Amino acid sequence: MTASPVTPPLVIRTGTGNWWRSLSAMLRWHLTSMRLFLPVLIVVQMLVAAGFSVGISLFFTEVSTTVALYLATGAAIIALVLVGLVVAPQLIASEKDAGTYDFSWSLPVPRSAAVAAWVLLCAVVSIPSMLMALLVAGLRLEVEYQVSWSIVPAVVLVLVSGTMIGYGLAHSIERTSLTQLLSQILAFGLLGFTPITYPIENLPDWLGSVHRVLPFYHMGVIVRGGLTEGIVADLGVSYLIVLAWTIIAVGLTALVLGRRK
Amino acid sequence: MSDWVFKAEGVTKSYDKGKSFANRDITIEVRPGEVYGLLGPNGAGKSTFVKQMIGLLKPNSGTMHLGEHDLIADPDAARQLCSYLPQAPMPIESFKLHEAVRLAGEIRGGERSAIMARADELIDVLEIGEWRDTLGAKLSGGVRRLVGFVMVTVVPGRVVILDEPTNDVDPLRRRLLWEQIRHLGEMGAAVFLVTHNVMEAEKAVDRLAIISDGTLVAEGTPSSLKIADRGCLRLQVMLSPGSLTPELPPLVREHSRVGNNLLSIIDEENAADGIAWAQRLIGDGIAEEYALGAITLEDAYIRLTGHRSAEPVEVAS
Repeated sequence: MTASPVTPPLVIRTGTGNWWRSLSAMLRWHLTSMRLFLPVLIVVQMLVAAGFSVGISLFFTEVSTTVALYLATGAAIIALVLVGLVVAPQLIASEKDAGTYDFSWSLPVPRSAAVAAWVLLCAVVSIPSMLMALLVAGLRLEVEYQVSWSIVPAVVLVLVSGTMIGYGLAHSIERTSLTQLLSQILAFGLLGFTPITYPIENLPDWLGSVHRVLPFYHMGVIVRGGLTEGIVADLGVSYLIVLAWTIIAVGLTALVLGRRK
Repeated sequence: MSDWVFKAEGVTKSYDKGKSFANRDITIEVRPGEVYGLLGPNGAGKSTFVKQMIGLLKPNSGTMHLGEHDLIADPDAARQLCSYLPQAPMPIESFKLHEAVRLAGEIRGGERSAIMARADELIDVLEIGEWRDTLGAKLSGGVRRLVGFVMVTVVPGRVVILDEPTNDVDPLRRRLLWEQIRHLGEMGAAVFLVTHNVMEAEKAVDRLAIISDGTLVAEGTPSSLKIADRGCLRLQVMLSPGSLTPELPPLVREHSRVGNNLLSIIDEENAADGIAWAQRLIGDGIAEEYALGAITLEDAYIRLTGHRSAEPVEVAS
């Protein structure tokens, strides 16, 4: 007995229909391949976000409304960025270590669809974590958010730029141990030395200047701008800087993925 | 159909600014429906070659075409036209067998009903149906290998690249797998078989290339590669455990030893003397058994690659 014939491809699939089908298939591929791990990852990230929200509030006996809003939204912003920037590169590094990286990259889907599926996967993990951080910090610090429509583009921009930076790093660095180390350094820098949970003025001038160029502070500003009123300024500048970094990150990722050794 | 031929011309891939070569000026051609073997020892450059076919690596020079498509200039087309079973395990720990196959088929652009029908038949003919609803993490290495084969052939490319497809597969299902590999050829897909299992390749391939140290050292049918050894026989003597390699009589043209297996190449006219020598070794307790047979592709392979036993051979004085 032999299997029924299926014709090998005669034409190359192109066009938007193929792109969307590829995106859907790759997203289902990622979700299924992480089926055993994903619920745990989501719960852990939510617990980390909740723990961080509670933990940073313990530093203060009394907090003003502004400080409370900084802390609450800061915890949410970190929860949003952490997955794409730190956790996802580690997943890609483990794929390389397991020897399955070549198979994944031999799959016949447009690279842009594969990247979009990865961003959506990171969103599936990070958005519940962000909401959990907002909820727990809101309850713990007794703050009320002023949510505006701008939270949508802010979250999208932050997700895309953060994930693209992590994705580009993970794909461009050959040694997986270096990727793991770098992601740890990024997490450390993000939690301790990035003005997300505190105002940028609290940093030494030189470090503040560095952060006015890097995207992370501005990511915090635009998300906070969509959740609060009156505590952030120069939103337009921050949007422009995050947008510029998004374009740079997408461009560099495209270069990295297009490059063949 | 000839426009779908795979052709590589002068493919060279070097590292360290040209100090070491993974592939050096390799030219081969694979026809539709053909099962083509790429043989060579570990590190010969086989995997590097196929990774260039699917756009994971880029050659320093040379061309690769599949029909009208330039696989090097258009890696997106290369990935659609070639399906690839890597040597590494497939990442299907969290997939049930049928899910992995269905999703792989969809990613390869197949229609769902056609995928399901072919997947069912492949699962049946490879006799892995009992694990249809089992998670990949619970499958044995051999069954996972077979699932990998089904995943890359449920909607096969014009060229199906199989890197060591029979690794870990049990002998019964191995036979079924070879039938399906041959069947891919009947469907019009060319099969590019990468292996260092010469004995299996001899039975399965239409033509083959042997590469050693990145260089193509021979190409042709299994029979044509054995022409240089025409008029010779292989005398295989299983030495008793712990025996040193006995003194070899002049009738032995070449020999190699792997473990206790002493393989000698002798001329056909010396067959009777060879048998007498082997029987004497058994009588003296140096050997346990022997077999005299026709030269195999493996013998030609050893001659062409110079790939012999890594164990030092001690010869009794």
